[in-house]
Amino acid sequence: MTALRQAGLILLIALGLAGATAAVHPKRPSFLAPPRDPNEVTLAQTKQWSGNILWVDARSESEFAAEHIPDAVCLNFENWNEQFPKFLDRYNTGQRVVAYCSATSCKLSREIAAKLKSSGVDDAYFLEGGWEAWKQQNRP
Amino acid sequence: MRLSLLLSLFLAIPAFAQLKWDTMEQSLQAKPGDREVVATYRFTNTGTTPVTIDNVHTSCGCTTAALVKNDYAPGESGQIVARMDIGSRTGHQEKSILVTTKQSPKTPTVLRLIADIPVAIVMRPTFVMWALGETPRSKTIDIKVTDGFPIKLLKVDSDNPDIKVEVSEVQPGVELEVHITPKDTSRPEMATLLIRTDYPSDNPQTYYAYAKVK
Repeated sequence: MTALRQAGLILLIALGLAGATAAVHPKRPSFLAPPRDPNEVTLAQTKQWSGNILWVDARSESEFAAEHIPDAVCLNFENWNEQFPKFLDRYNTGQRVVAYCSATSCKLSREIAAKLKSSGVDDAYFLEGGWEAWKQQNRP
Repeated sequence: MRLSLLLSLFLAIPAFAQLKWDTMEQSLQAKPGDREVVATYRFTNTGTTPVTIDNVHTSCGCTTAALVKNDYAPGESGQIVARMDIGSRTGHQEKSILVTTKQSPKTPTVLRLIADIPVAIVMRPTFVMWALGETPRSKTIDIKVTDGFPIKLLKVDSDNPDIKVEVSEVQPGVELEVHITPKDTSRPEMATLLIRTDYPSDNPQTYYAYAKVK
């Protein structure tokens, strides 16, 4: 009985310590955040790819016309059949393609990257934070 | 004394304004060839004071939401018509429409538009490429009708005579292997392959694949 009580006490102490660590540790994992999509890349990652990237702007044509990442091509679901041949003019087999849309809340770039993958573009990704993130890090 | 208490209680009840929605979520099934899905969200002002809809904002540029007017008297009904442009989208789609009223600017109502857009045919890949000077060997695109879908693959044409297509029927009308061969790869060439189908009968769809020498 004493042994059981001691085991229970040890368990309680261990749980208390684990709970405190989970609450205050600076590198604690987030249990609420959804797992990261393997096709999502950060700007820092794209910078390591030494410029061999074809940027795809998944936003509307008017947003693309207003401003976009230099040398990006516009490709969205609304005008896919007209724009995809233009994408192919710029795409080289084996090249990394990174789609972006307005911001983190926007899902278009994720969907465009998935469609590119199913079309045969093996290295298709989407940019975390989208155009907003790019603009923030590339301010003049 | 009792009267003043009742009066103060009455005055303490705030003016009541709210929209009651028939439904806040619409699930729609699109057909191949549909250009858009349209969802209507009806509401009634069940409050005792007028409601002003200040803003209707959609989560995607592909979706528009139209409102006939902004002010609704107590008991009055209205509707918001949301249209999602399908474009080349397929599969499960979820879009939101945020409706903000002047009376509750910080708590918008979120309407949801859920659409399932069928994938009639699957093509893998949708393009083939040759580098300039590469041996002009044939490359293949597999085309298959999604199980149970009432669509027939009729024929595949190339719009460029210098890029030839040859079709093998794995299962007639249902599964094809399209072998594509450029005449030569010494100069850039581009062909659009037109995959013709019989569905829907009133507006048969053509799907596209591409071949390129670059």
